[in-house]
Amino acid sequence: MLDLLAQTGLNAVYAASYISLVAVGLVLIFGVMGVINFAHGELFMAGAYVVVAVYAKMHMPFFLAVVVGLIFVGCLGLLMERALFRPLRDNPLGGLVASIGFLMILQSLAVMGFGVRMEFIPPVTQHVVWLSDTISIPLARVYVIVAAILLLSALWYFLKRTRFGWALRASAQDPQAAELQGISIAQTARIAMFIGAGLAGIAGALTAPLVSVNPHMGHSVIVTAFIVIIVGGVGSLEGAIIASVVYAFVHTFVTTFYGGVIADITGLVLMLLVLIVKPTGLFGSADRA
Amino acid sequence: MLKFLIWPVAAVALIALPYGLSFSQQEILVFLTINILLVSSYRLLTLTGEWSLAHVVIMGVGAYSSAMLTKNLGLYVPLSMLLGGVIAALIAVVLSFPLFRMKGFYFLIGSFAAGEIIRLLWKHFRDPFGGAKGIKGINPMPDFSIGFYDFDFFEPISYYYFAGVIVIICLWILWRIERSPVGLTFHAVHWQDKLAEASGVNLRAYRTLAFAIASGFAGICGALLAHYIGTINPGSFDLDYMVFVLTWAIVGGTGTFYGPILGCVVLTILNEVVLRELGFEQLRPLIYGAILIASILFLPNGLESIVQKFTRRSART
Amino acid sequence: MITRIMAGGLSRRTFLKSTAITAVGAALPGVSLAAGEPIKIGFLAPLTGSVAAWGKPGLDGCLIWAERVNAAGGIELEGGKHPVEFVSYDNEYDPAKARTGATKLIRENGVSFIMMLGGDTWPGVQPVADKTGMLFSTLLPSDLSPDTPTLVAPAEVHPIYLVTGVDYLADTYPDAKTAVICAQDDSLGLPSVATYLAAFEARGIEVLEEPLLFDPATTDFAPIVTRMLSSNPDIICLDTCYSDYVHPICEQLFQQGYKGKMISATADFYDQMIAKTSKEFMEDFIFQFPDFDDPALAADNINFEDAAGFYAEYSKRHPGQWGAVSWEYASIMDLWKAAAEKAGSADPDAVLVAMKDDGKGKHAFGDAVWWGTELFGIDNALVGNWPVVVIEDGKAVIKEFRSIPDWYDQHGDLLIKHMQAYNQMYDQRS
Repeated sequence: MLDLLAQTGLNAVYAASYISLVAVGLVLIFGVMGVINFAHGELFMAGAYVVVAVYAKMHMPFFLAVVVGLIFVGCLGLLMERALFRPLRDNPLGGLVASIGFLMILQSLAVMGFGVRMEFIPPVTQHVVWLSDTISIPLARVYVIVAAILLLSALWYFLKRTRFGWALRASAQDPQAAELQGISIAQTARIAMFIGAGLAGIAGALTAPLVSVNPHMGHSVIVTAFIVIIVGGVGSLEGAIIASVVYAFVHTFVTTFYGGVIADITGLVLMLLVLIVKPTGLFGSADRA
Repeated sequence: MLKFLIWPVAAVALIALPYGLSFSQQEILVFLTINILLVSSYRLLTLTGEWSLAHVVIMGVGAYSSAMLTKNLGLYVPLSMLLGGVIAALIAVVLSFPLFRMKGFYFLIGSFAAGEIIRLLWKHFRDPFGGAKGIKGINPMPDFSIGFYDFDFFEPISYYYFAGVIVIICLWILWRIERSPVGLTFHAVHWQDKLAEASGVNLRAYRTLAFAIASGFAGICGALLAHYIGTINPGSFDLDYMVFVLTWAIVGGTGTFYGPILGCVVLTILNEVVLRELGFEQLRPLIYGAILIASILFLPNGLESIVQKFTRRSART
Repeated sequence: MITRIMAGGLSRRTFLKSTAITAVGAALPGVSLAAGEPIKIGFLAPLTGSVAAWGKPGLDGCLIWAERVNAAGGIELEGGKHPVEFVSYDNEYDPAKARTGATKLIRENGVSFIMMLGGDTWPGVQPVADKTGMLFSTLLPSDLSPDTPTLVAPAEVHPIYLVTGVDYLADTYPDAKTAVICAQDDSLGLPSVATYLAAFEARGIEVLEEPLLFDPATTDFAPIVTRMLSSNPDIICLDTCYSDYVHPICEQLFQQGYKGKMISATADFYDQMIAKTSKEFMEDFIFQFPDFDDPALAADNINFEDAAGFYAEYSKRHPGQWGAVSWEYASIMDLWKAAAEKAGSADPDAVLVAMKDDGKGKHAFGDAVWWGTELFGIDNALVGNWPVVVIEDGKAVIKEFRSIPDWYDQHGDLLIKHMQAYNQMYDQRS
């Protein structure tokens, strides 16, 4: 029984790491741009398809593919900022519809380029780390966990310790005041979109060898990410990370002990309960809603 | 003078419409008619400034209720449709307790979660909801005759007339509600919520009222759909459908009563008729996505803004 | 629906005659085609959206089938040969769109036969089938009921064929005594779970815990695999999981150190599964869908014409897309073509009569019988032998063909018991 608990705990840590990468990106985009990026799950999908193209089809090294995924999807983010969100800055609902349109286009492009079926990605490593006779974690999952910790630490440093980060936080809190301080809103918007989209892309790229890559894989990711950022409080990066961990643990344990469908219901009920008690999420403040 | 002529001409046009269409277009017309009421009821909710992602699931509540009432209790179909709407409204009132503690983005996602919970419950409880397969063999609307016309509700034309009458009555009610003091208060709740609250308006009560009314009509839409297709399942009311409703409303524009209807009609014809006829069957999501983006970029105030420009100019000359 | 028509004093057949002048009748497929005029076949399945993988590869297969048949001169009916033409309608796996599509194909395109994936979309089409008498096919026999006289399930008799795999497993590995099942919670997964439960019970294999049902949107299977392994089963049964689930589940089983037997309905792209795990791990994996270049499919008793050639052509045009649906729709067309040629007509009624004549039919995997009265309330499923496929030395090999009706004659009551427990009998599916 103890083994089962420990193994489930490890499974949950892995789930928490990729969910938090996606959720933090979504929070960042919402915080700075003020739009709900419905296409965030498809950015995750795009990252996974970069790995399909670069690593599985062109046989380049996996870590190169991951870096390409980060940059490529980051650039998709820049494209979205320039083509969609900037012209629609005062129209958050317009941004929502535009991101839905973008989502449909990305999905169709994936179908046209790669077909409707799941893609094959050769395993990066088959090494399994055995912690005891019964408790183990595949090395490929350790990569994801390590990458998530490194990336999120780097992001934290960037936001709290650099001038760019300071500008980013300032314009997330109060765009007008930030502009008066001489912060370029357009510049911070570009940085936020690149990082936010890039985090989704790298999460997709890192987990691509571990999940089934198909054109519709973004759907379940975006649903999870929405739940997480609401629980954490929209606009709060710390909240998103903590909520990712809480959600991943609850979902994984309930899946293991009661079943997958019950786990989905539990996750949603948990979210509603948090909102009933604190309508702005665990770490959210009322003025950003 | 012209004003009095518009209504009879419109009525004749609507009655004659299906005879100008192909068989499959008649089928699409039935669904379009139902969706027009769906998107109009959605607009009532958006008047208060809240955007819900549960509207389609609530429509499903109406569909499931009406289907189960006729199947299990043998209720007369039109009566069960009405009850489907009532039950949907009641569920909305229940949901409003947690949901209206939230606003804006929280409400949007909160409503999505509430809807997903309902959908997962349908999936999880095979008895009585039929699980993932849903409910099949739902009693159709019983055929009847009104002397000069025999209603055969398998035929899309008959069902179009039946649904059309219900939809027009419902649209008229929605229109009256919007023009009533209650409807004006909905507007105030959105645009001047602090002011409205200061002048003694109970914001939450009005939000709940708008949510319940909109949901009631959505429930009727669901029931209309269920008794026509004869089958419903949790997948019939998923996020994809909700996304379509949302885009119809926003692309059409929610500033006027006819904006969402316009969006629904134009986008449905594009997606279901034009693109299929042009042979882009498998490319439809791509083109539809591009159309969404183009329309929101170049018509930020919705399709209704074209109509407004046109009517204003003609009013001036 | 039937009762409704009967109440009106009309049987379906008289209805067809009486409405010959109304819109319904006017658009029914022409009973007599002009010589050389193409026969149109409807393809009504999801081509876009998340279920597209169950439709699109099938359409690709049908197009190859049509080319091959047309190159050989087409279909011979009374009064000459006719080429075949497929007309597709993307139903997006939505019952309302399926209904619209069926109407279009029948009334506007004048098709003689419509192939569907079935499942959620069939109940939306059923009233149209009822009224027009059009002949339909489904890949999922669980759509069959006494109310569906013009629906046939002639290719995949899912899930009943699964019993052959379990029988083979029990015969070959008598020491394997305990099993665990996992499945996605949907209309494909549940009847399949019931069948595996019956098949395991019939062979005295104990199923250790309630089958683990997961949501179809699941992406991370580590928790489910951890749970399955916690009860130390001899056999892990993957039910009718889609390849999107089978692959990650197997990878997890491999990485969490599982050593026992595995059985599954499908193992599409099994070469990729081997690449993700190891050849040793996947050795002896039991499933039900052979490669079409398998020598056993070149034998005389196999009715799928030139299986290897079809497989080669398909793989050339759509590399890496081959799967069960790629051939299933085409095999239905083989059966339909034979029946139409026998009837000398493409008329749906005549083809159905010719198809079910003497209660036997030529299933892709050998001659079979029209069957299913007890299970579906109607004998419109074509059931005979089904192959048991095992991975040996990295290659799928047909080990044997086993008779499904023989199994059912012995253990039918078990199957019905478990189907009832999962609300899957035809009289419970409402």
